Amino acid sequence: MSDTQLADWRNHALTLESEVNKVVVGQESPVRLITTSIFARGHVLLEGDVGVGKTTLLRAFTRGIGGGYQRIEGTIDLMPNDLVYHTYLGEDGKPHVSAGPLLQSGENLSIFFFNEINRARPQVHSLLLRVMAERTLTAFNKEHHFPHMLVFADRNQVEKEETFDIPSAARDRFMMEIPIVVPSDAAIMESLVFDTRFHDVDALVANVPESILQFDQLNGFAAKLQNSITASPTLRSYVLNLWRATKTPMDFGVKVSGVDMNRLVLSGASPRGMGMVLRAARVNAWLNERTAVLPEDIHAVLHSTVAHRLVFSPVYEMRRTEIARDMLSGIINAIATP
Amino acid sequence: MRASFLLITLTSILGIQPAIADVILPDINAKYVTIIEENPTRDAGFVVGDVLDRTITLTVKKPYELVKESLPIEGYEHRYKGQISGIELVKISTEETKHSDSVTHVLHLRYQIFTTGKLAKPAALRAEIVKMRNTTNKDVRQYRIPSYSFRISPLSVFGSVKLKEEMSPFIAPLLLDSSREKLTIKVLIGVLAASLLGLLYMLGMHAWLPRMGAPFAKAYRDIRKMPDTAEGLQQAVARLHESLNKTAGNSVFSSNLADFLQKKPAFSPVKQEIEQFFGLSRQVFFEPNAVTNVSASPKTWLQKFCRHLRDCERGLLPELKSTTNTKAS
Repeated sequence: MSDTQLADWRNHALTLESEVNKVVVGQESPVRLITTSIFARGHVLLEGDVGVGKTTLLRAFTRGIGGGYQRIEGTIDLMPNDLVYHTYLGEDGKPHVSAGPLLQSGENLSIFFFNEINRARPQVHSLLLRVMAERTLTAFNKEHHFPHMLVFADRNQVEKEETFDIPSAARDRFMMEIPIVVPSDAAIMESLVFDTRFHDVDALVANVPESILQFDQLNGFAAKLQNSITASPTLRSYVLNLWRATKTPMDFGVKVSGVDMNRLVLSGASPRGMGMVLRAARVNAWLNERTAVLPEDIHAVLHSTVAHRLVFSPVYEMRRTEIARDMLSGIINAIATP
Repeated sequence: MRASFLLITLTSILGIQPAIADVILPDINAKYVTIIEENPTRDAGFVVGDVLDRTITLTVKKPYELVKESLPIEGYEHRYKGQISGIELVKISTEETKHSDSVTHVLHLRYQIFTTGKLAKPAALRAEIVKMRNTTNKDVRQYRIPSYSFRISPLSVFGSVKLKEEMSPFIAPLLLDSSREKLTIKVLIGVLAASLLGLLYMLGMHAWLPRMGAPFAKAYRDIRKMPDTAEGLQQAVARLHESLNKTAGNSVFSSNLADFLQKKPAFSPVKQEIEQFFGLSRQVFFEPNAVTNVSASPKTWLQKFCRHLRDCERGLLPELKSTTNTKAS
């Protein structure tokens, strides 16, 4: 791929970022990570409280990317077929079947947003995870393809009642888990409350120019981008050490306060997970106008791509967000490069 | 001896006037001669074979002069009451200094003891008689250099001796041969000193001077030895990364450089250079096409950079003027 193409796409990506940042203020880091995942073609799990702007953020991205946007709410009685179709009695008094959220946009489905995924049953997770992995769905005796689809799901970590924990195998399908927190900057907080432009979400999202990116060209560009950004032997060695450290942090002298490190990790990052780290790091390098991955690119995406893949002893699961953050920071601090 | 006896007998038979040396002359008036004695520092504890030095300074005023022939003769056997005293003059030397109205003679006399006994016994350096001649009327007088008394000790003590009565402040204590022990002590002191130096070296983090073993001081020494090749450059950059990490206590990257400088503000003066270093590291290890603003000779630049880091490490302010020769490569 020519440098010009890379630069053109980079400009588009940065424009998209810039426009989204105007709509969702104080979320520069999540916006950068979502942009990264879009170009790395990875699904994203958003974690955050209610009303922090997750939906607005995704709608803004969808508008900028173009293509179809579908959304479903996770509830305890949601069944897998609810994603595929729904039945109703028509005006003619006969039963009718219409396409569900997954099928509604057909192949043009660009972003599928699963709100509060942890409220849905494991059966629903199972279907969704297959769609995420294969980007296909068999329904009505036909195989449907969603080549451009990215799944964005969110979960509320505060409420635990009537929820189903997402198993580690399912979490591993998501490229990133991105925390969305309320901005701490006083001026931004005040603006979010008193600025009337934030009160009408539809009008707010409409401010993002449509189709800054061409959703149907993203797959092709993403593949070429991955081939354009190199990883030196030194970096490869560094990443392998990081990987090993997620499995046996004690071997690298990593400690977390108040945690028995010998018992903490049941399973480190998976090969798929580390592959996703590199995919995301390559995109980050490209966004920063580099032709090779640096350790800083790995650091930029390590927390969001690895933390949710770690499997801890049950006794530490309740504190996993905090422990995973400290452990990964410890790993970055402990492992040197070159 | 026989020849001299015959000569004396012959002169007495022939009625020849006796020589000056054999007659007892009247003493010279004391006002014409002054004497200064320098005797041995102790008067006891001498044994057979010991040598005693005595210096006599005679100042003879005019019109008298010293008759040099009257000075004592080396090897003359002194007798006391017909018995050989066993103390012999073995060497004599003189110095003469003339003044306007007097002449000063310094006599260096060396005696040796050739006698001993079972008990300590008194002895003396005999009183030497010298002659003075009046230069105007040829009158000859004698002057008696006082004797010096001391005691001769036996080589070993016989029988029971009352040490209390025999003690003298001038008698040196009997000493055991301690040369072997002294040698042992010297060797042990040497070992102790070497051990202390080794301990100092270890406590100083394998360095002889404070901070000599600090990370950048060590790195500076290592980098100077590295070859000026691509491989040497990689080693040098890696060595500096290692020192940075060791100093910070964690891995330092360009992304957490601000944290490092906040934790170690002594390195703030070289912030720009550290950023340049990360640029160079990026080129060397990760992105060969990357542009750096390090000078044309990275090895030289790294040495200077490392020296500046070492200065910061020692609490000094590095001279940064020398590294402003940055140039796009």
